[in-house]
Amino acid sequence: MRPDASKKIAKVTPKGGPNPVVIGAIVAAVVVVAVVVAILIGNSGKSGSSTGASGSSAPVGVVGGTGGGILVNKATAKGNAPTLDLYEDFQCPTCGELEKAMGSRLASMAKAGQVKLVVHVLSFLDANLKNDSSSRAANAAACAADAGKFLEYHSAVFAGQPAQEGAGYTDAQLTQFAKTAGITGTALTTWQKCASSGQHAQYVTDVQTGAEKAGVFGTPTVKLNGKDITKTLTTGDALVAQVKAATK
Amino acid sequence: MGQIKGQLGHRGAGRPPDLIGLLARLILGAVLAVAGGLKVTSPASSARAVRAFQILPYDLAGYVGYALPVVEIVVGLLLVTGLFTRASAVVGGLLMVAFIIGIISAWTRGLAIDCGCFGGGGTIAASQTQYGRDVLRDVGLAACAGWLVVRPHTAYSLDHRFFG
Repeated sequence: MRPDASKKIAKVTPKGGPNPVVIGAIVAAVVVVAVVVAILIGNSGKSGSSTGASGSSAPVGVVGGTGGGILVNKATAKGNAPTLDLYEDFQCPTCGELEKAMGSRLASMAKAGQVKLVVHVLSFLDANLKNDSSSRAANAAACAADAGKFLEYHSAVFAGQPAQEGAGYTDAQLTQFAKTAGITGTALTTWQKCASSGQHAQYVTDVQTGAEKAGVFGTPTVKLNGKDITKTLTTGDALVAQVKAATK
Repeated sequence: MGQIKGQLGHRGAGRPPDLIGLLARLILGAVLAVAGGLKVTSPASSARAVRAFQILPYDLAGYVGYALPVVEIVVGLLLVTGLFTRASAVVGGLLMVAFIIGIISAWTRGLAIDCGCFGGGGTIAASQTQYGRDVLRDVGLAACAGWLVVRPHTAYSLDHRFFG
């Protein structure tokens, strides 16, 4: 092996050539600055928590503290019903398929109080698809929760999911979903204001953070009493059977 | 005679080991630069991909996710151009070792994630995981780095041009 000449080179500046120490220092400085800038830019996307920022409080029905999901059926859930956590992104096609396959079954179980249905609406697909439709739709759904129509809005969004992943949702579509969900009159006016102002934007960010902290990095994810049962949900009957088994 | 041959070889580009070094530099450098370039425009995805390994604490994983693409691009470009080859290869090699450990760790813990090496990341169907392929690729790249750390002298490098 050839002897390493780097030490010798570092000591003497070659005649007429660039100084390695100077170039090295420049490269190192560029790396440090670029890394700091990258971290600052990355962090600027998220800040604070639900509490504090004016006008961006958590919506009605949130359980489990900051960044928790929305308990859909607080009024009807029976005391001994197991908790079913549903993690979805409104732009996730597989979530749309899950909704199609067992959405109505889930809704009826929730209405009958057989499960405590907690829905966590995620928004990570915005970064992948380079749009903001997941966040806007999630905010709009949180506004619908304020109106007591979360599950109805949730179904309307998935029913109107674009055939092509990434096409996203227009504001007009989001409003149409509210009407489909049965939000009318003054409630619709309130919903509209909430949706267009991004009133629950911070909550939406917090839910995404909360899900990642809970180890959820994909959608749909379904947890029954905290246990991930997503893979077992091949049929609606499988879901019903598991819920029954988990009921004390 | 040996002396003269060695000196000529030092300046020239034709010596086989120097060409192997050039190849190692270009492969490792290009893969790093491309991987970084694909991720640098979506820092949120990159952070999430690192968090999905569930090894580092949430906040620290985020910082790694934001910084990693930048580091990959810089080290990749240094390797492609052959500037500070040994130092760049050390960093590139350490990155590969970290990636290999991370992927094997996720694999053995039964996680079903995309490594997010070239963008994307997060949970995927268990049948879609490609841990073996990812580890093999990174072992190959680590070997390129290893060669360059041991023998940083390569053909057509800026190290040559600038520092002799």
